[in-house]
Amino acid sequence: MKKLSLMILTLGVLVASPSFAFAKTNIFACAPEWGALAQEIGGDKVDIYTASNANQDIHHMRAKPSLLAAMRKADLVICSGASLEIGWLPILLNKAGNNQVQEGGIGSVMASDYVPLLDVMQEKADRSMGHVHPEGNPHIHLDPNNILFLSKVIAERLSEIDASNSSAYQSNQVSFENSWTQAIAQWDNEGSHLKGQQVVVYHKSWTYLLNWLGMEAVASLEPKPGIPPNASHLKQVLQDIEGKNVKAILIAPFENEKGAKWLSEKANIPIIKLPFTVGGNAQSTDLKTMFDDTLQRLK
Amino acid sequence: MSKKLLLAASAAVLLNTSPALAASDADLAAIKADIQAMRAAYESKIEQLEQKVETLSAQQDQTAAKIATVEPAAGEQVATQRPATMQRNIKDSSFNPAIGVILNGKYNSFSENEGDVAGFAIGEEGERGTEGLSIDETELNFSASVDDKFRGSATIALAEHGGETEVEIEEVFIATTALPAGIEVKAGRFFSELGYLNSHHTHTDDFADRPLTNRAFLDGNYGDDGIQVSAVLPTPIYTEIGGGIFRGDDNPAGGAEGSDIGAWTAYGRVGGDIGDKTSWRVGLSTLQADDVSRDANEDEVNFSGDSDLYIADARAVYAPTGNNAEQEIIFQGEYFYRDEDGTYEDTGAATGAVDYDDGQSGWYAQSVYKFAPQWRAGARFSQLYAGDVPTGLVGSALDDEGHDPWAATAMVDWTNSEFSRLRAQYSREEVADGQEDNQFTLQYIMSLGAHGAHNY
Repeated sequence: MKKLSLMILTLGVLVASPSFAFAKTNIFACAPEWGALAQEIGGDKVDIYTASNANQDIHHMRAKPSLLAAMRKADLVICSGASLEIGWLPILLNKAGNNQVQEGGIGSVMASDYVPLLDVMQEKADRSMGHVHPEGNPHIHLDPNNILFLSKVIAERLSEIDASNSSAYQSNQVSFENSWTQAIAQWDNEGSHLKGQQVVVYHKSWTYLLNWLGMEAVASLEPKPGIPPNASHLKQVLQDIEGKNVKAILIAPFENEKGAKWLSEKANIPIIKLPFTVGGNAQSTDLKTMFDDTLQRLK
Repeated sequence: MSKKLLLAASAAVLLNTSPALAASDADLAAIKADIQAMRAAYESKIEQLEQKVETLSAQQDQTAAKIATVEPAAGEQVATQRPATMQRNIKDSSFNPAIGVILNGKYNSFSENEGDVAGFAIGEEGERGTEGLSIDETELNFSASVDDKFRGSATIALAEHGGETEVEIEEVFIATTALPAGIEVKAGRFFSELGYLNSHHTHTDDFADRPLTNRAFLDGNYGDDGIQVSAVLPTPIYTEIGGGIFRGDDNPAGGAEGSDIGAWTAYGRVGGDIGDKTSWRVGLSTLQADDVSRDANEDEVNFSGDSDLYIADARAVYAPTGNNAEQEIIFQGEYFYRDEDGTYEDTGAATGAVDYDDGQSGWYAQSVYKFAPQWRAGARFSQLYAGDVPTGLVGSALDDEGHDPWAATAMVDWTNSEFSRLRAQYSREEVADGQEDNQFTLQYIMSLGAHGAHNY
């Protein structure tokens, strides 16, 4: 028992040791797009930790120690939700001992809760369909209208968490909204000729982008969502797209190019590697340049 | 005559098919007029009603339009605000609780009949697996947020031991989610934070069986009834400390009695990233079991006394392309040291209770290489070092006869989706002098229901 009391005492001293008072609001962003958006709204009042980069498949990440340390300190967590981060985010939330950022809490923004989702499973979802998200497609950030809406959500949430800087957040949001609305108009204009064009995708990562631009995905390289492309499925895709006027094969930086290259050669369709998120290529340094670059490449 | 007249009149009446109509064309006209009047009245009424309906619906449209014009603003406000504090948090599909079933089947073939580890008394879960085809262990997991302050989880395993189906409570615990300062309190029965592997369920392992160290020192997993407190500290790199008190009823503890605390644990670990491609974690932990009475080697060997275990663990994950979904290499190892002070008795060798005060140790190191998104290959080596044999235990299970047990393992697995994995494994186990066991294993691990966790 003596050893035990010593242990409890040590534990108590370590835990009770004062935590640092952070001047800035700590934001934990699951993905670069949310980190970038939080930066637009938070400006210099926030410190942002971005849990992943554009080269990583966010769904397949692990609950790494570094993420746990960052979650522990977070005042606000911004993620896509809709099961995208289900493999690791719940572990971080369980272990981090941070009540504020639990789902439903003041410090939790699951972006897909705030916008209408596409690909919502109306009928029975079954794993034989591959890795489907019955609640809807979580890759919502590629419709710039969703970004605009989330900017309001984030501004309000930051104002709630850090009331003293509320006016800064609100004014940042207003100026973001002004420039973003203009940008959307410009992109709508630039992208108007894309309407009705057909593409092949690797995964349903592009649903919102295609929906926004009025484009159509006629096939996926993955036989089922979450299952990597294989030879027999690629042959099937080659057959399926025969006679169709397919503009390109779209892939993200974290998606394997092998299958796309094969199809590209056989069907004589170009591969377009889009940035997918901020940092997805050298040009995409923030949200605006990311969409600029995306439309540029789709031309 | 009058009779005739009457008859004629009656006949006329009877034969006349429509006396009234026949009688009254004038009446008919009157009725028609009446009906028309009624219809006119009704029509005007209907018209009035229709008008009313129209005006009402128009009003409604106006109201709706008003609502519609008002709604975007109000809607935005409502929508951008966070959802009201939830009662329950449903994380995985529409199930509450999230329900998961792990299906696990194996084919094992061993070239040696015996698998006793020289110098060690092994618990039931630490024994070599079942030979031949078997449905190893079926695991049922239920987990959910209890409310805004607690979460709960129950994992029940159905396993066969010696031809009998056993229901084992692997983990049944509640944990806090609302404590500040990075603190989590867990209570119930759960796998303690000891080293790396102990807190993980076997279906998440990278090999079909546990290394010799975890089989000998922790009987697979140490999972006892108790309370564990942990805290993630507010440091720039990940730092977590914690400890727990336990009933002391699971190997390597055992024989819990009365209200005593039979075992306690403490651990500390740090971790972080090196660049974008590498993450790492190292830790130290201890399990201190007092007044143990523990039976092992199929109840032939009893240990009574104090058993103190110390573990050092390290793990690093490297993704060559920076994307773990494509390729990654995992390095992992643990070192164990156990200090035991008490008596050992081997009834099989009729040793009687012999005083024992010595240390045993062991280690394993493993690496798994995901060379394609669905394919992994791995290698592992583990070795044990028994304590010095007291004279009274010479020739018993505790006598290693100068042989340090070791096992070398190689495996390859294929992961179709996140929910299914097939594995082939070969092991060379030399766990006792003269034993050269060639082990071949085929395994499937599949999960139904709730999405599995990607633990570090």
